Parts: sequence; structure tokens; C-alpha cells
Amino acid sequence: MSEPSYAAGPSRTSVKTATPEWLLRGEVAMCPCGCIGKRKRGSFVEKTLTGGSDLLRQVMFSEDVALQGGLLQRVDARAKIVAMLVLLVAASFLHTIAALLALYALTLLVAVTSRLPVGYFIKRVWLFIPIFTMIVILPATLSIVTPGHIVLELWSWHGHPEGFTSQGLTSAGLVVSRVAVSISLVLLLTLTTPWVKLLAALRSLGVPRMFVMVISMAYRYIFLLLGSVSEMYESRKSRTVGAQRHDRAARAFVGATAGALIGKANHLSEEVHQAMVSRGYRGEATTLQTFRLRASDAVFVIAACLCAAATWWGDRLLGH
Amino acid sequence: MHIPDGYLSPQTCAVGFAVAVPVWAVAARRVSSVVKTRNVPMLAIFSALSFLVMMFNVPIPDGTTAHAVGGSIIAICLGPWAAVIAVSVALAFQALLFGDGGVLVYGVNCVNMAIVLPFVAYGVYRLLSGRAALASRRRVVAAAVGAYVGINAAALAAAVELGIQPGLFHTASGAPLYSPYHLSQTIPAMALPHLTVAGAAEAILTGAVLAYLQRADIGRLVANHRGVALTEADVVLRPARLSPARVAFAAMGVMALLTPLGLLAPGGAFGEDSPKQLDLHSLGLSSVPAGLDRYNGFWSHTLLGGYGFSSGDHADAAYILSALVGIVVVGSVAFAVSKVFVAIGRKHGRDRPADHDADTDSDTDLERSGTHV
Repeated sequence: MSEPSYAAGPSRTSVKTATPEWLLRGEVAMCPCGCIGKRKRGSFVEKTLTGGSDLLRQVMFSEDVALQGGLLQRVDARAKIVAMLVLLVAASFLHTIAALLALYALTLLVAVTSRLPVGYFIKRVWLFIPIFTMIVILPATLSIVTPGHIVLELWSWHGHPEGFTSQGLTSAGLVVSRVAVSISLVLLLTLTTPWVKLLAALRSLGVPRMFVMVISMAYRYIFLLLGSVSEMYESRKSRTVGAQRHDRAARAFVGATAGALIGKANHLSEEVHQAMVSRGYRGEATTLQTFRLRASDAVFVIAACLCAAATWWGDRLLGH
Repeated sequence: MHIPDGYLSPQTCAVGFAVAVPVWAVAARRVSSVVKTRNVPMLAIFSALSFLVMMFNVPIPDGTTAHAVGGSIIAICLGPWAAVIAVSVALAFQALLFGDGGVLVYGVNCVNMAIVLPFVAYGVYRLLSGRAALASRRRVVAAAVGAYVGINAAALAAAVELGIQPGLFHTASGAPLYSPYHLSQTIPAMALPHLTVAGAAEAILTGAVLAYLQRADIGRLVANHRGVALTEADVVLRPARLSPARVAFAAMGVMALLTPLGLLAPGGAFGEDSPKQLDLHSLGLSSVPAGLDRYNGFWSHTLLGGYGFSSGDHADAAYILSALVGIVVVGSVAFAVSKVFVAIGRKHGRDRPADHDADTDSDTDLERSGTHV
């Protein structure tokens, strides 16, 4: 029996082997740019697998960043949550683009001092939601959606000039900058705070204990169940030759994996419950970690409130 | 459907939390009432599951893939209250870990996806599945339809929240401060993808999971389907719970809710105009007929003349009050009349058997039951 190699494409089928021809065929379009072979859209199996690995990558990256010794990492988690909420509310009340941009510059400054990779930070903020917002909001800059003072006339309709209006452009600028500021603020908190500390802080800020326990345990079991999902999809991928078809069988497979996951989850919750009860759980949980608020944390919260007040005051000044 | 921060005004976000917080409190109580120690691990693991189900790519018949929310299948397996908490926790993860959906908007997002969606989906599912057996095909269809209706209801709620922003919040020059699109633009924009792709994803996932559980693991469904027969053979035909009184009340409720439609219709009803509004010229008359003029306004001692207070204040409140008074008065008159009829019928029934006492003919029985009805 001759040795078939992976390099052997369909062109070399003259070599007779016992291996079926389809097994020797190279995978087409492995390169996402589509420079070799024809470009395929990812199947539902690949998309789900990629989603799972993206989740793990992001979580591990956040935990790494949270352990760096920057400015925000040293501040108490409760102080950070309060400061973020104050600034978020302030950002949502601002009426001018300039004030929002000032707040955005502030988040960049804090990101740099917290040793976040700035390129990554900017990319993470702007990629997807603000860019998506820009596209979505584009028609709203035209006079057909937002009537008002026309800045640039594009066409006329029965003698009426139509085009970009100053009101539409202002509105688009406001929404996009507000979205970017809000995402930056939330990202600053979640990237610089380990998940466990974030939850403990939520608990001490008055979120009911039951919810905090559910969230923290759910976070732990996401990764266990994610392992099951990845295994099911990887085995499907390895059993499939050629392209995944999006047919009835594929939909039945998605239903079966989700259904099997429900079965696993049910079984797991019963076991976890018994394990907890046998270790003395009676419906109340206690934590070993105690938070101590230092003077620097109070200074941080006061500084955040001052920033919020300053932008709000500047906003009023510019608005009138 | 995950609305990011910045699209909604802080006032709308506050309303979102004001609606969501009481529902969370009730949901926590409802879920904890069974076994105190079991709820936390159960909810935690199903929240994790809900988060993962949102990551599943569902192949849609047109060749693309879409994400499902998964609130419907959790509502069917565990009940809508557990689904409220599981989906809310999953949304919290998405907001904090991925920036998918905002933090201030979290309450509003929960109202749409964790409250409206599971409750609507579960309600439609219960309504359509009726008393069908747990393993029946009808339940699969009911689950898929419920999921489809549920996600579209959630999308409509999101469209309304976005669409009211430009009218309520804008600068002095008229530039919208938040989402700039009006209701007439947001509702079609949200309805189109959700009636097609996203609705299909949710319906396919829910139907397929239910079909799988029926096939492989029907025990999981029993917990939330108490009193439902397992197979077609076990279905017990019980008398319908639709008593005439319930049907009558339901019909009256529907009619009362539909009345405002009449206000939209143009013009007035034929023969109800006051004499002053008559178009005398087209009728070939020179003046209002004497009899009509005399007897019109013969009775003017009405409580709520013209469905309003005599002073003419609070027109809307008076109109609703008139409607309520009307429903109550007509209802009680109809009730009294039926009571009188029943009493007369009973009296007849008591008189009659005296003549037929010895007679055990089945005809008499029929006749007697006839008089009672």
C-alpha cells in the first residue's frame, strides 16, 4: 500500500490507494481571506466553537489585566462601582458633544494610568457597538428623519431641499460619543476588577445575597458547561466530512445539544445542591473577605463626583 | 435586542429598573418557596445554561445563522419565574463581560428579554398546548409558536422604548439627545428582523429542544407540567372548565376592551343626530318636524348627559365612568331578569311533578330538565 500524503490533492489520484479519495482532499479555504479555494461562511458549528473560545480568551485576558498594579487596580471595588455609576449617570445627562468628549479623554487618561494596553482599550471600545451605532444613525442625520436647519443639501423633493441637518448631525454626534463614553466606563471597571471582588463589592453595596450567590456560582459553572458544549460541537465537527449543511438535521442537532445541556444542568444542580447541604449549607452564605475602605478610596470617589459635576457644569455653560 | 448605554434617557432607564425590581423580588420568592437550599444551585446552573444557550448559533432555513435568547425554553422547562432570574443573570454577564447591553439600560433590557419574553412565550405555549399529552406533537408546535410570539413581543417593547426617545428628549433646537428614530421608524426596523430571522431562531431552538426532551428525557418536563398526561393514551377527558358564566365574562371583557375602536370610526350613527344637525335641505324639509321638535329633549334628567358631567369637566374620566356605570347597570339588569326567569321556571318545575309523580317516563325527565334550562 502506497503512502498517501496530505499534500496529495485530487490531481494525484492516479496513485491507487485504499484510502477514499475525499479523505485525501485538502480542506478548501482555510484562510479566512479566501485567497486559496473558495470562501465559505462559517457553519453554525464553527461559529459556536469560536464563540466559546472567544469567551474564554476574553475572561482570561480580563483577569490578567486586573492583576496589574495600575491606578484603578489599587482602588477598592466598591469605590470603583460607585464612581462608575456616578459618571455613567452624568454622561447620560450631558447635552453637548464637547462635554462628552472631555469625559472620553478622562477615561483614556485613566486607562493609561491603569496600565491597560491603550490600543486594545480603544479597539475594544470602538469595535462593534459605536461603529455599528454610527452606521445605524447615519439616516437620522438626514432631514427626512430629523427635520431642521439643512447644512448640506443633497437633493430636492418637489422644491423642498433635503440633506444633512444640523440637528441630525448634532444628535448623531451626541449618541455615538455617549455610547463610547458609557462603554469605556464599564470596561474600565470590569477590566481592572477581578470578578470575585466585583461580586463581593456588589454584595456589600446592598445587592441581595441570593442574587450575588447565584451570579457567582453561575460564573463558575459557565466554564464547566462550556466544556460540554465544546465537546459536543467538536465531535460533530470531527464526524462531518465536507461542509456543514444547514438543514433539518442541523437544527435537530442544535436542539439535541441544548436539550442534553438542560439534562446535564439539571443533574449537576442536584449534585451541587447535595454537596452544598452535606458541607453545612443551610440557605445562608458567609464570606471570609472583609472590605476596608481607605482614605485613598474616598478620595477616588470624591474625584469622580467632582469630574461628573465639572462636566455637567461645563455642559450647562456650553448649552446656554 | 441588547440596547447599549447611551440610546435611552436616564429617565427611561429608571422606569426600567422600577418595573424590573418588583418582578425580581416576586420571582425570588416564588422560586425559593419550594426548597430553601435548592434554589441557589439550581438557579445558578440554569443561569449559566441560559448564558450558553444565547451563544448557540441556530441554523436558519435561509442559510445564515442567528442567536436565540433561550428564555422561552427555560420558561417551559422550569416555569416563567425561574426564567426571569436565569435570563437576568445571563444578561448581567453579557453586560459586564462583553459590553453587550448597557449597565444603566440593564433594567430595561431585563424587562424586554427576561420578563416580557418568557411570560408571553409561556402564556402562548400554555394556551396552545391545552391539555395535550406531554409527548404530543402539538406541544412542540405550541412551544415554537410561543417562542416566536414571545421574542416579537420583546422586540416590540424595545422598539417602543427606543421610539419614544426623540419626542420626549431633545435640545432646544430640536436635535434628539438619545436614539433619534421615531416610533414609525423603530417599530418596522425591529419587527422586520424579529419576524424573520431572530423569531425563526428562537422558534427553532425552542421547538427542537422540546422535541428532543420528549424523545430522550421526558422526566425533565414533568416537574413544570404537573397534572399533564404523559402520552396520548393517558389523557383523561375532563369536563371543560369553560362554564357559561366564564365565557360571558370573557366576552364582556373583550367587548369592553374593543370599545375605543368605535371612537376611531368617522361620522356618526344613522338616526342618532339631534334635530339641529339634520340636513333639512337634502331631506326636502323647510323646518324640523313639529313632533320631533317637541318630543326631542322630552327627558333631560340624565345622570351623565352625553356621557359626561353636566359641567363638561374631565371629559375623558367622565366617559370612562359612563362606560363603567353602563356595564354595571346593564349587567345587573340582565342578571336580575335571568334570576326572575329562573325563579319562574323553578316554580313551574315544582308544580309540574305533582301531576307526573307516578309517571317514570323518560320524556318527563327531559321536559323537566328543559324547564330548568
